[in-house]
Amino acid sequence: MARDPKYDILFEPIQLGPKTLKNRFYQVPHCIGAGSEKPGMQAYHRGIKAEGGWGACCTEYCSIHPESDDTSRVSARIWDEGDVRNLKAMTDRLHHFGALAGIELWYGGPHAPCMESRATPRGPSQIPSDFELNIHPRYMDKDDINEVQQMYVDAAIRARDAGFDIVYVYGAHAYLPFQFLSPFYNRRTDEYGGSFENRARFWKESLEKVREAVGDDCAIASRFAVDHLLGATSIQVDEDGVRFVEHVDHLVDLWDLTVGDIAEWGQNAGPSRFFEENHEKPFTGQVKAGNHTNKPVVGVGRVTNPDTMVAIIQSGQFDIIGAARPSISDPFLPKKIEEGRPDDIRECIGCNQCISRWEIGGPPMVCTQNATAGEEYRRGWPPEKFSKAGNADKGVLVVGAGPAGMECAMVLGKRQMSAVHLVEADSEIGGCVNWISKLGHSDGKENLFRGTARGLGEWSRIVNYRQVQLDKLKNVEVHLNSRLSAQDVLEYGAEIVVIATGCHFATDGLNPATHTPIPGADTSLDWQLTPDEVVAGNKPIGQRVLVLENEAYFMGASIAQKLAGEGKDVTLVTQAADVADYMHYTLEAPMLHRDLHRLGVDIRTYTMVDSIEPGACTLYNVWDDRHKDKVEVDTVVLCTQRLSNDELYRELKSDPAALQREGIEAVYIIGDASAPRMIVDSVFDGHRLAREIDSDNPAMPLPFIRERRLWGDTGNGDFESQLLAPSDMVAAG
Amino acid sequence: MRIVVPVKQVAVVDEDFELVDGGSAVDPDFLEWSLNEWDEFSVEAALQMGDEVIVVTVGEEEATEGLLACLAKGADRALRIWDPALEGADALAVARVLAAAVGRESPDLVLCGVQSSDAVNSATGIGLAAHLDLPHLAVARAISADGDSLTVERELEGGLIEVVRVGLPALLTVQTGINEPRYANLRAIKQAREKPLEVLDLAGLGLSESDVDAARGSRLRKLAVPEAGEGAEMLQGSPAEVATRIREIVAERLSA
Amino acid sequence: MSGVLVVAEARRGELREVTLELIGAAKGLGQGPLSVAVVDHDPSRFADRLALDGVDAVLAVKTPGEHFEPHVAQSALEGLIAAEQPSLVLLAHSIDSLGFAPAVAARGGLGFASDVTRIWWEDGPVVGRSAYGGKLEAELDFPGRDTVLLLLRGGTFEPAEPGGAAPAWREVAVELREPRSEHVEFREVEAGDVDITKADFLLSVGRGIEDKDNVEQFEELAERLGATLSVSRPLVDAGWVPGARQVGQSGKTVKPKVYLALGISGAVQHLAGMRGADTIIAVNTDPEAPIFSVAHYGAVADLFDVAEQLEQQSG
Repeated sequence: MARDPKYDILFEPIQLGPKTLKNRFYQVPHCIGAGSEKPGMQAYHRGIKAEGGWGACCTEYCSIHPESDDTSRVSARIWDEGDVRNLKAMTDRLHHFGALAGIELWYGGPHAPCMESRATPRGPSQIPSDFELNIHPRYMDKDDINEVQQMYVDAAIRARDAGFDIVYVYGAHAYLPFQFLSPFYNRRTDEYGGSFENRARFWKESLEKVREAVGDDCAIASRFAVDHLLGATSIQVDEDGVRFVEHVDHLVDLWDLTVGDIAEWGQNAGPSRFFEENHEKPFTGQVKAGNHTNKPVVGVGRVTNPDTMVAIIQSGQFDIIGAARPSISDPFLPKKIEEGRPDDIRECIGCNQCISRWEIGGPPMVCTQNATAGEEYRRGWPPEKFSKAGNADKGVLVVGAGPAGMECAMVLGKRQMSAVHLVEADSEIGGCVNWISKLGHSDGKENLFRGTARGLGEWSRIVNYRQVQLDKLKNVEVHLNSRLSAQDVLEYGAEIVVIATGCHFATDGLNPATHTPIPGADTSLDWQLTPDEVVAGNKPIGQRVLVLENEAYFMGASIAQKLAGEGKDVTLVTQAADVADYMHYTLEAPMLHRDLHRLGVDIRTYTMVDSIEPGACTLYNVWDDRHKDKVEVDTVVLCTQRLSNDELYRELKSDPAALQREGIEAVYIIGDASAPRMIVDSVFDGHRLAREIDSDNPAMPLPFIRERRLWGDTGNGDFESQLLAPSDMVAAG
Repeated sequence: MRIVVPVKQVAVVDEDFELVDGGSAVDPDFLEWSLNEWDEFSVEAALQMGDEVIVVTVGEEEATEGLLACLAKGADRALRIWDPALEGADALAVARVLAAAVGRESPDLVLCGVQSSDAVNSATGIGLAAHLDLPHLAVARAISADGDSLTVERELEGGLIEVVRVGLPALLTVQTGINEPRYANLRAIKQAREKPLEVLDLAGLGLSESDVDAARGSRLRKLAVPEAGEGAEMLQGSPAEVATRIREIVAERLSA
Repeated sequence: MSGVLVVAEARRGELREVTLELIGAAKGLGQGPLSVAVVDHDPSRFADRLALDGVDAVLAVKTPGEHFEPHVAQSALEGLIAAEQPSLVLLAHSIDSLGFAPAVAARGGLGFASDVTRIWWEDGPVVGRSAYGGKLEAELDFPGRDTVLLLLRGGTFEPAEPGGAAPAWREVAVELREPRSEHVEFREVEAGDVDITKADFLLSVGRGIEDKDNVEQFEELAERLGATLSVSRPLVDAGWVPGARQVGQSGKTVKPKVYLALGISGAVQHLAGMRGADTIIAVNTDPEAPIFSVAHYGAVADLFDVAEQLEQQSG
């Protein structure tokens, strides 16, 4: 099919200094957990987007020197020739697909704790990082300034050698150049501090020097947080923000605009729970709107909708559509628009699971919508190509159409299995997503700071995408309102059975802290509920509610938000150091906490429930369980832990003779039914099984490539052995 | 009860399509076939009420898939009728042919879908009833059997229902939503291929080409892509005037 | 064969508006005398309403039964056709007509077409109707058929105006068949779970309503207008409304008689779910909104202003 002419504008090339960007789809720098030390993952993850049509793909933040070391978080590095060689794998691959390669030269200053290099980071003033563990920087005198600027230059030259087309001097997220510019970090009294021109001097000089070194060959970009969101204490877009753009406009070939910093990065990488599509427009949109630049501008805002993209360019908001998360969710977004099938776009849901893995420090990226993100190289999974299964003649029954079941059935369908039946007990597919997507609201009022709880409605895109794909697959049938018994499964006529029946919340307070039920906990009573019951709304909720959260992710806090938003008096109890711990990694925590505090939720950390009785709960602090505290409540919501719905699986497995008699060759279990997990991991589990359904033992994941150096290989940067590369083209079925 | 269910394999036209034969047909390359949505409901009603269910269709080879789907759901027998003379047959011509096929089964009840999703004539069922001289009711949203007679709810315009009684044998046209159609598991799909599926031409039914011609209600002169429309008729005036006009249009359209 | 016979449609003592459209369509053809048949328990009660410009005669057939019965109606029409020998018979494409008109055509070997949206004359009637679920338009004619029976789509043809000389009134004796079904009662449908695919009239709102709190206001407006509320995707994404109300590619596909879209711009995915609606009316402040390309009626106006007016006028 042909491209709809209204999207033509997205495919117009645009000049970036000496380079031509072939279209308006630009993957802005973002982390993936690869860096320079997993060159395969780096090259293949960026490369898959180039293959999918993105006009430019950038590295993550790329350290220019061992003094800028964010371990255990994974950055790229361009310290030496070995890094050049490793990053060249990425640039080669991007160039192979016709995309430009960008590198975001980064010096973190005090934000980078240098736990691997053990070096000492430098900064404009000796103010410890507001992000990391109070790392103090060394004060930079003029020699230090020249040395660090030379680091940028040397790194830029190495970058050019590595084949990069776009070289950034990176000052967003409050890294070094921004630390000079902002009076929040810069208390200097010399010519690098005080007045605007002085504060801008470091960044300006760095740009000049880098430009001089490589500007003829490379486009010089700068990533700039036009507004720090801290008001007058730092950079505001309508004051120093646009002023800085004008000040150095002649030195850049591309502006990459954001807001905020790294301490509250969620204001930029805004999760859908709190921010809508194109949410940075009021800030980043001012640069072009006020005619402050003559250069092309790329900006972000978790934009996934092609019509929004067109509107952004036509209205002059930006020239280029920047994307990190939408490119992770769908590396083939540009191609799908080009091929006239925008309905196939797999839209980002803004869960920030991808970001969470980087925040944790170390693990490879993941993506709820795109199970192949991070797996392109190490498992050889391209998101849009599927080989025909070696056992395609087998019929498959997938029981349960939640995230795991939907994904498994879809991929099996794309692998051309002859007949896949996805059978769901409920009246619609989607499983837990259907009720979880109803959470995330509170009272609809604005928060104390930017970001209002708008709910998890976008998480239902998990279902939307799979619904559209399943409808298109002729070899997949979806049957609703059908709860299968073991006998039904035995008689179904499938050779392969996949159980994806999900999980349920513990009804007796069983929890990961004490490993025992809580005396008095019983959600069969009408004044005690599991979180899904709260959403279902069939039980009355009294005025005083106690929510017990041992789950560490969003459930307890979301229930608290919802009920407090409805006017209830909520006490939120967790045995952990913080409620919703994992939400720190997804960047949702600051806004969540502001919301909970505004709503007056009584948060009790390091606290467990000793026992429950009608009208009250007895609590104790985990550090001192001798002192108990009785709290009067009307309703108790238990988000302690989940348990697999695996009865069907156990029943089938208990009678191998019956399985054999009915011709069932294998029974697999995936997702929450196997072990309760995050949605991102359920989708992955379903995907993996389908990708490996024709391996010798599909239940056991095949080994993945680990990019490591083997003992006996000669020294650093001198690899004798070839890293195994998976085949580029998955064999067409 | 023996119930015969005439079904239709309907065509869905791809987004990009081309016309052939001087604009009188869609190029088959751009057609996808599936069982008419209404027939899912009539087959289900038959399976629920009947002891023996026979499905019949007038269609070419692609209609076999639809019949197999019905057999997989639980129908006992299937019959496909085709003849080159049936090319371009309209609703009434099909009704005439079906009458011959259905008649020879002597059913207690004939259940048809109200309409097919591609041609949307809404006529074949009642035309068939006329040829068979069976008592008939159109647009049933609920059926309950009561010995020798049926109590039927007809779905009328504007959310009104008429409750009607009719004796057997009879023919009803059945509306979507009347029941929850069952689906066939993989075993039933495999086993459907073993059930009897007969194929007959006009001669096999004792019909001639001239019988079909006499029954035809219309002739297709040509197909055309509807004009992209002159666009919307824009309503002018103040919000009050616009609202008045909207209410008028709504009233007109809903009364029809 | 000559002249046009229009079959009036009534229910529960009321003449249905579509009858006037049939008469308007017939008049527009100008193919000889126009008679309107009233088959009813008490045909004279409709006399006043049929004093319309273009009607030459009203043919009354008295039925013993109080309610519509398809076999009685069938025999009545067969008798009228035999007596009057019209070249064209027009009925509404309505639920009742579907119950007997095809039977008349089948038994009589008449020309026949249903859901007709256009009609003209070329040495005989030629009609236009939808094909392939609306993707195409078919042109049909009826060679060799002296009498052609057509079911016309409601809300498509211009209704006849009152005026002209009072038509001649004639009682026609027709041999009526015994009823073969028995009317038991009428009932209203219960409001159950919302199924927007079943609604005749959808009031659909989008991002234009701006605030979650406004959803309730539009729910009330929908109720007042006799519509069911549906929404476009952004409202479901934002969690303002459950997914069951979503119209669009990843929601439901709807084909109501009327789709009134307020503040919906018309993203491709949304259009996919509603472009098959019979009548689409769109209100949007943006004259370039894509929804206007599929709407039959549009207004560039503020949806809140229009909504307020709709509310007041329906009060």
